[in-house]
Amino acid sequence: MSTLAPFMTAQIEAIAEEVFAAMVDGEPGHLVPLPAPAELTDPLYAWVDMHADVSGRALIATDVTTAHALARALLGMPDDEPVGEADLVDAFGEVANVVGGNLKALLPVQGTLTLPRVGRPVPALAGATKVDEVALSWRGLPLDITVWQI
Amino acid sequence: MLRVVIADDSRVMRQIVVRTLRQAGYEWDVTEAADGAEAFAIARAEQPDLVLSDWNMPNMTGIDLLRALRAAGDDVPFGFVTSEGSPEMREQADAAGALFLVAKPFTAESFRDVIEPVLA
Repeated sequence: MSTLAPFMTAQIEAIAEEVFAAMVDGEPGHLVPLPAPAELTDPLYAWVDMHADVSGRALIATDVTTAHALARALLGMPDDEPVGEADLVDAFGEVANVVGGNLKALLPVQGTLTLPRVGRPVPALAGATKVDEVALSWRGLPLDITVWQI
Repeated sequence: MLRVVIADDSRVMRQIVVRTLRQAGYEWDVTEAADGAEAFAIARAEQPDLVLSDWNMPNMTGIDLLRALRAAGDDVPFGFVTSEGSPEMREQADAAGALFLVAKPFTAESFRDVIEPVLA
């Protein structure tokens, strides 16, 4: 059985930083690496799966309040404006979609990318193997990206 | 004013594309479509000046949208805006008749670089 080779941490960080600089913040410098993952108190997950000769999952985890802030930033909303559930799912899922799509482009064999999904429980990963983990901080708020072979 | 159809299943992404086009200096008449099938119907009915389409969408993907338009004899200028900018997908897009592929994340400059030659 083929295995999903780990990406370089620097590649994942560079993709995430580019996504946030272009789509979320409009400027670089607001997403920075952390030495280790910070504990999430109320986590929300967004992920896409990649299917080629191997199957993988790019999973982003952050606190619900951070996901709301991300959605506001993506939609250009004021800081105090409430975010609806549909916009929250759409915005956070799209961040996972763009990060996952850019990671998939690095794979030697291309395949398909699923539509993004967002959920509050940890998505079912029975039998999956974590191949990458990158801890990040967006405007001081923790956000983790993991890649799994599924 | 140019008329453009923006097809993406993400409302958030459609909004970001519209905002970035404005930042690039393009004040266009925009019609939004939530998937390829909707974009096909709009493009055939309204004959826009440009279609900007995501690749991975429910109901009809972007590449299937482009192939369906060309099969119907519709040569509307067509560009992809997608998170998957691999060389393989660029080749597929080119072979199907797309003018360009902008990879997400994009900037105003990304759009200007590919759209200016189309407008010239």
